[in-house]
Amino acid sequence: MREPLHASTRINLEKVEVLLVDDSVPSLNLLSQVLLGFGIGNLTRADSAKRAQTLLRERTFDLVISATNMAGVDGYELVKWLRRGALEANRYLAVILVSGHTPPSQVFKGRDAGANFTIAKPITPKIVLERILWAAKEDRQFIECEAYLGPDRRFKNDGPPAGAKGRRREDPPQALRPPGATAQGGFDAEKVKP
Amino acid sequence: MTTAPVRKFRAPNRLSMLVRANGGMMAKDALAAADAALEPLRAESLAVLDAALVEIESQFGRSAAATRAAGAYQDLYTLALRIIDVSGFLPDSCVDQAAISFCALVDNCSEAKAWRWDAIDVHINALRLLRTSDLTPDQRRAVIDGLNKVSQRRIDDN
Repeated sequence: MREPLHASTRINLEKVEVLLVDDSVPSLNLLSQVLLGFGIGNLTRADSAKRAQTLLRERTFDLVISATNMAGVDGYELVKWLRRGALEANRYLAVILVSGHTPPSQVFKGRDAGANFTIAKPITPKIVLERILWAAKEDRQFIECEAYLGPDRRFKNDGPPAGAKGRRREDPPQALRPPGATAQGGFDAEKVKP
Repeated sequence: MTTAPVRKFRAPNRLSMLVRANGGMMAKDALAAADAALEPLRAESLAVLDAALVEIESQFGRSAAATRAAGAYQDLYTLALRIIDVSGFLPDSCVDQAAISFCALVDNCSEAKAWRWDAIDVHINALRLLRTSDLTPDQRRAVIDGLNKVSQRRIDDN
């Protein structure tokens, strides 16, 4: 579970280079104002994914916030491209997608493109700041395979199924697994151990 | 047949290093500053919302009954998204929820390649009602519940 935003959390965004991408000018203006309010000193706006691609080939950024629904290249394609085609220093950037319509299929699409998080519009400063902090505290490893490059798509690790021995180094020992993990399959894992 | 290897690695997170730098501000101050920075955009954002509603009505409403079938699903979807973009300035109006339901409806129409004009008319009327009328929170909630039922219905259910 990720931490909610606390009023007393201190955050310094003065030196963070942010690229904001949206082909809707009103939306771009709203997000820009929110980010400037947060004290972001280096904000670059792109009114299309094509323009963003040009910038991501030329300059280094620390965070990309992009709309999903854009004419031509959309936000999902932009993230997918960024993970493999951008300047080397930009490929592992934190990416937050912003979308007005977020049925599960679209959220999964964003996740599978390699985005870190998706925010539903209308945006609120609280959610935007919280997601920026989540992105800053991102502890997921990156996964690279033929079909995917981006943060590990598993948000939580409950360990292997009950009764099975974990094969990964980071699998939690049985004693630390959440209660639901041991009850899966309708049998007690401890009883079947030799 | 061989499968391509999967690489798992820790990528540098520059954002993480920068936000922890000395200075900056507390989250509550950042949020207050963001709210203050948004305020000058209120009037123009509401104008964008109203203009999108007028455009939806003129292109896809009853007054355009003779021509609206030639419209593109994506155009109506984009107009509904435009309403969502700026509807944060009407936090308790449920206008955003109505526009989200509208997007779901247009998505379903696009998937089925068939317009559902009755459902579209209902959404347009509801958006106008939520935007202009003095409704109680319960009444607004009832409108949204109704819209969600309409938009989630599939063409085959008609």
